[in-house]
Amino acid sequence: MPLLILLIPSLLFLVAVFALPLFRYTWLSFHADSVMTGLVAIPNQGANWQRFIHDTRYLQDLFQTLRFSVVSVTAEIVLGLVIALILHQPMRKRALIRSSALIPWALPTTVMALGWRWIFNTPYGPIDRLTQSWLGQSLNALGEPSIAWITTVYADIWKTTPFVALILLAGLQTIPSDLYEAAKLEGAGSWICLRRITIPLLLPYLGLALMFRLAQAFGVFDLVQVMTGGGPASSTESIALYAYWNALRFLDFGYSATIMIGSFVILSSLILITWLVVTTARNRSQQSLAR
Amino acid sequence: MKATRFLILALLVWSLAPLTWQLYTSFCIDQALVTPFASLNQRWTLDHYQSVLNSNPPFIRYLLNSLFVGGLSTFLTLLLAIPSSYSLSKMGRRSSLVIKFFLIGCALFPYVLLFLALLEIARYLQLGNSLIALAVPYAALSQPLAILLLTNAFSDLPAELEDAARVEGLSVVQRFRWILLPLISPAIASTAILVFLFSWNEYPIALTWISDSGKLTLPVAMARIAGSSIHSVPYGPYAAATVIGSIPLILLVMVFQKPIVSGLTTGAVKG
Repeated sequence: MPLLILLIPSLLFLVAVFALPLFRYTWLSFHADSVMTGLVAIPNQGANWQRFIHDTRYLQDLFQTLRFSVVSVTAEIVLGLVIALILHQPMRKRALIRSSALIPWALPTTVMALGWRWIFNTPYGPIDRLTQSWLGQSLNALGEPSIAWITTVYADIWKTTPFVALILLAGLQTIPSDLYEAAKLEGAGSWICLRRITIPLLLPYLGLALMFRLAQAFGVFDLVQVMTGGGPASSTESIALYAYWNALRFLDFGYSATIMIGSFVILSSLILITWLVVTTARNRSQQSLAR
Repeated sequence: MKATRFLILALLVWSLAPLTWQLYTSFCIDQALVTPFASLNQRWTLDHYQSVLNSNPPFIRYLLNSLFVGGLSTFLTLLLAIPSSYSLSKMGRRSSLVIKFFLIGCALFPYVLLFLALLEIARYLQLGNSLIALAVPYAALSQPLAILLLTNAFSDLPAELEDAARVEGLSVVQRFRWILLPLISPAIASTAILVFLFSWNEYPIALTWISDSGKLTLPVAMARIAGSSIHSVPYGPYAAATVIGSIPLILLVMVFQKPIVSGLTTGAVKG
């Protein structure tokens, strides 16, 4: 079995980076390990988990993370589909246009997070100036708790839509063009083509983009940490940021690990549910296509 | 046709307007940023760039650090992933499917959650503040994507090709060097560029591993600039920093658009 030997180094690295941390967190979550204990792990009979279940700040962060993920991923899928349809058209300078559309995705998140802070700055940023002159009042896009989370959603959509668009573009390229020609001969308009041909055949790609983006959005960290620092009034604080504060600001490793394991379980069940929904939708559409 | 053209224009504005604004800001004097409509004798300046480039440590340092970590982790990733994907492509259907599912699971995992355990490992092995050590978790985190992409490339090669080479008496190493690697080089290029982008942009692990200001990677340095002063707003230098930080990647995307797109799309089609 010399073939397996070649795989072993990679698998060892993967286990060290993905599996070991999960075991370590599970173990830590049953121990007090903080400044109080002098950063030595002492068993504490599930006190972390007791605290976790009753932690209203975690609950609030979970709600924020879910609403951030659902709103931004939905918008990214819709917008990504539109962009993929645009990029699929024959056009001049296609390579240049594709590269330009890709740039937001390629830039480091922290670089543009800093940029957004200036663009949404109150009162000197361009957006605030626009609302001041049009609506007569300041938007305060990063200072108002009910708006700030939407601002972070906007920044996330800007950055990751190109990724979704590319995956969907790959899907579009697999659809044979004679399907559209046949539909047009039968008098179908472009809207019917989109609903009856494009979207059903694109479902596997939509599902893939959905799962990847949901998982990534659930772990949102860079953007929020640099753009708002979780504020104002913790309104944009994500789960990952809360776990980070607990470890590196409050120096409570035991509780930070508890948050991460708890969040991991929640995320896994969410992904599993999404996967089940996506596969049933796919099977159903395949059955109706076969008919 | 007109509608398409309008949509393309809208797409370009949507993607490039924020960067254009940063570019504009970076050349404006502070007074022009606060009162944009006032008539000023002198509106443009290079001061922001000077203050960023002459800071201590100079900004170029962060770019070089990121380049070093990106290059090293790309090399490590390929070194590990090429043999693995070769063996995965030769495996039976069922066992390779199990491994692929495991890899997809890893790829889905939001790796931010790993930072605490990785930090503990770094402390235990005293790897903090080492750019060389930072490339190790990056290479490990890149394995799922790299193996999946390269396995597809190996599987697409006709099996007769390698058999013929074997009959000719070429050893495994020779077959790799002269036949397999040249044939999958497009996939290697795609993988390399995607891994490089990931390492260049990675933030949470670099944030927790590196504290020495001379060794910061670009994303962490940017975040530090942001955190350094919330009350006074040096947005001119900020903007200059975002422009300088963006240029290498914009060039990279322009030059390597094809391998990036094909890497992401074959990942989607076959993954």
